[in-house]
Amino acid sequence: MSGAVGEARREVRFPISEAFRFSVESIRKRFTRALITAISIVLGVAFYVGLRTMSDIMIFIYGGSEAARSYQFWMAIISLIVCAVGILNSMLMAVTERTREIGTMKCLGAMDSHILMIFLIESSLIGIIGGVMGAVIGWVTGLLIYVGEHAAILFNPALLGSYALRIGEGVLIAMVLTVGATIYPAYYAASMDPADALRFEL
Amino acid sequence: MRYEYTVETEDLAKYYQMGEVVVKALDGINLRIRRGEYLSIMGPSGSGKTTLFNMIGGLDRPTRGRVYIDEVDISKLDAYELAWLRCRKIGYIFQTFNLIPVLTALENVTLPMIFAGVPREERLRRAIELLTKVGLGDRLHHKPAELSGGQQQRVAIARALANDPVIVLADEPTGNLDLHTGLEIITMLRNLNKEKGVTIFTATHDLKMIDVSDRIVWIRDGKIDRIEKRVDVVVSMEEM
Repeated sequence: MSGAVGEARREVRFPISEAFRFSVESIRKRFTRALITAISIVLGVAFYVGLRTMSDIMIFIYGGSEAARSYQFWMAIISLIVCAVGILNSMLMAVTERTREIGTMKCLGAMDSHILMIFLIESSLIGIIGGVMGAVIGWVTGLLIYVGEHAAILFNPALLGSYALRIGEGVLIAMVLTVGATIYPAYYAASMDPADALRFEL
Repeated sequence: MRYEYTVETEDLAKYYQMGEVVVKALDGINLRIRRGEYLSIMGPSGSGKTTLFNMIGGLDRPTRGRVYIDEVDISKLDAYELAWLRCRKIGYIFQTFNLIPVLTALENVTLPMIFAGVPREERLRRAIELLTKVGLGDRLHHKPAELSGGQQQRVAIARALANDPVIVLADEPTGNLDLHTGLEIITMLRNLNKEKGVTIFTATHDLKMIDVSDRIVWIRDGKIDRIEKRVDVVVSMEEM
């Protein structure tokens, strides 16, 4: 005796514009938490982009060896791993403290995918903002270190391309780290039975 | 289509595995809730009230047995239909209010209507109407943290009614409220039931609820202990 037989498909909706508005409200309301997450992204990405920019400039000037380049590359990677752990921790907390809210949303008709959408929008926003800020800060810092001795060549057309590449890399990495760190806890919370989610306590 | 029974349960059971022990939170509940009825589940804490609330509300899966809402077996619903059922057929009221903290009273009431696909103007009109009806017409843009417990519960009642549900489920709706505010909430539920014919199911151990319920189902250790009609209760109180 399924109710859907012979009737229009019974579905709930959650337009992306509403999800976006909801996400922005959430970030504004929990601004401190978003700020802390964003700062850890800014630091990690700034360090990465800074190091890569410096090594680009060094190689441009001195022709530098592959070895020096790879040493700096691994430094940057390690800094990103540290940053990723920080973001994961912060997003994990941010999602788990909202488990009951997720349960409530599901009582009102939200589906798992709607919940995921909200968290993905939130984390992408934080990731983009943190990533852009971090990349610009890292790049400017990299330039400042060489501006004394090599001011003349810093804006050589051959370098501009690699700057853009580094900044792009930085923003992309920030996005991947933040969204990646959010997907698992958000998916876990969204797929709980509402009864368990409502009972959940930190 | 209107059905005689809004809710029916058939040998409903829920067991939890707690380490070595199996806890029988519900053990064979057969219950029928008539359309327009005000039914209260009473029992000590741990008797299975909230578990029954969760099962009837489609918030948890039973170990055994079935729940029918408007003659639809809810265990046969897929994720879309279940979300639709929670959105359109059932209104939930909780002990802890469970409003969304980042949204205003108005936005909390419109949220279920967003899921139901109600157009924006209609949503706002209806939410304002509902909030005015529960006496919060001047608190539309307050966030839950800026409202008292009683006011938050009234927002929750307005939210529960947003999509004209066939049944309102309330789990200890007065549990976090003082005597006076609790009585206000109970009166409000009773008026809804009387005036608009909303079917109401409350799980509670608040004895104030006895006066307004059509039937009281006492449960103990996950089983129905006895069922009293209000007339019986009133009579037995007069006998004393």
